[in-house]
Amino acid sequence: MSLTIKIEFGGGLELLFSNQKSHKIEVPSKIPARERSESERAVDLQYLIFWLRDNLLKERVELFIENGTVRPGILVLVNDTDWELEGEGEYQLKDGDEIVFISTLHGG
Amino acid sequence: MSCGNPAVEGTDAVMQRKPKYDKSRICVKCKENLGKIVVRHAVYCKDCFFPFMSFKFRRSLEPFVNAKPDGPRKTALKPTGDILVGFSGGLGSSVLLDLIHRSYVSPNLVQTNPEGGRDHPRKDRVWKNVNICYVEVSDAFTQMKDNTEDIRHSIERYKGLEFTPLRAQDAFDPSWWAKTDREFDLSHMGVDLTSEDLLLSSISQGSSPKDSLRKYLSSLPTDTARSTALQTITRLLIYHTAHRLGCSHIVLGTCLTSLAVSLISSISQGGGFHVKEEIQEEWAPHSTQEVKSTRSHTNDIRIIRPLRDVGMKECAAWAWWNRVTVVGRESWEWTGSKPGIGKLTKDFIFGLEKDYPSTVSTIVRTCGKLAPKGEVSGQCLLCSRPIQQGVQEWKTRISIRSHNTDDSTPSDSVATALTPYLCYTCHTTLTSRSPRTAQDNPTNVPLPMWATSTHTTSFTSDALGVNKDDDIEVFVGKRTTEEQMHNIVKGFLLDE
Repeated sequence: MSLTIKIEFGGGLELLFSNQKSHKIEVPSKIPARERSESERAVDLQYLIFWLRDNLLKERVELFIENGTVRPGILVLVNDTDWELEGEGEYQLKDGDEIVFISTLHGG
Repeated sequence: MSCGNPAVEGTDAVMQRKPKYDKSRICVKCKENLGKIVVRHAVYCKDCFFPFMSFKFRRSLEPFVNAKPDGPRKTALKPTGDILVGFSGGLGSSVLLDLIHRSYVSPNLVQTNPEGGRDHPRKDRVWKNVNICYVEVSDAFTQMKDNTEDIRHSIERYKGLEFTPLRAQDAFDPSWWAKTDREFDLSHMGVDLTSEDLLLSSISQGSSPKDSLRKYLSSLPTDTARSTALQTITRLLIYHTAHRLGCSHIVLGTCLTSLAVSLISSISQGGGFHVKEEIQEEWAPHSTQEVKSTRSHTNDIRIIRPLRDVGMKECAAWAWWNRVTVVGRESWEWTGSKPGIGKLTKDFIFGLEKDYPSTVSTIVRTCGKLAPKGEVSGQCLLCSRPIQQGVQEWKTRISIRSHNTDDSTPSDSVATALTPYLCYTCHTTLTSRSPRTAQDNPTNVPLPMWATSTHTTSFTSDALGVNKDDDIEVFVGKRTTEEQMHNIVKGFLLDE
């Protein structure tokens, strides 16, 4: 079972992802347990960020991820809504979600 | 072995994450719709966010459009000249251009304003001409893409604007300087960066403007100095172009976050005296003498940052939701260099904004209350910002500026020294200590046209703020040797 997610990059962030602004990806609906004590859990935005790093990111990881989340200066929208309203990395992904990453690092 | 309490460790020990917004997810303005964006702990829906942005933009711009600035007004906006938008292709300036176009250029304005007839004066365009000026800096670097055509393409969607592309090396190009309608002088001056006095001498005209730009930047002692110098060149190119085009206003896309970065960065580099200018300034295109004689000039250019109340996040949301094209700017990275003060400050402020969204606003508001101490003694030849009176004497007292004990005084070279005509920041930019290698030879370094032209044509009188016909009285700080001091007081000394 997997979820189809639409990913968009803006503000120059697409340069890190093969200069392609829009991607359609499939991620597993459950994150497999890493240890016996853990149970399977629904896939969340935090997982997606690392999935993008491992599967789509082409260069300069430090411009996308810092301290286990997206770098300060990157705005994330979940279905057109600020991810701070959706619980940031804890937001549980749903099939058909649209996640947008916009870099604000290109100044004035 | 952990020192913690094993009974409470694990998932239960993780503190519940506090939401980044106050109260509920309902918009704080309309109190009906579900919020779409969090702006410094407050939630806004899309319908309320757009007017909120436009309001903040207009509130920071319109009270300063008329020659006599005052509070919010309902009378007509009547600027004395045109407007120039300093455009970098970055997020802030792209959003600014979009807002300027929507508010003052878009032909729909006539239809949307129901008051008055079709030809009512209220429906006249505030600025007859809206100019966009872009400065391409790629030639200052070895491997940077020239974005001029991308920029031209990105602004094509806005009709009724005049585009003026420039290049950073224009600052060293006599043919560009001739176009600025200024007093034209062909003599070329170079500066010796090895001395604290920054002695000037004539240099040959052999090198191209691009080579001159590169020599100027590569001669500077630190990467921080290089970035600051390039920023100053870009800013002054825009100012002089605005003057040539007959503009009364320059608007820059510095948003709240970038303003906090530039304020902290500037203060860290000794620009505390320019805090006010960093937020908003009036630039006198003419000499220091005229500036000193009368403060209210009709042809002064007002530089405004209309996005100074709008954070970077709001700009990003505006750009995304309105499909504003952001070409982007490559970061200024010098080969094999460590990040400079500007880059470090930017990283710090961006991190701060993520964790404590209101603190960035506090930085800007606190800086806005600062009043620099001391009198203004003139206008800096390099950056056109005010020089604090007596700053060089102060610097001499508080810093060791030479390793050798040579007591040469600036009195011998006063006619050809640049130092007395620079502000503290520019002097530090040119002379700060660095691990500069021995093979570097920063002598005969070319200077931007505005610095040397002022210097050679009306240098002494203008910079000192006196009439050319008057006798010039120059005060020079002179270090006295122990022997000289002994000679002065020897008549009062008792024999041992």
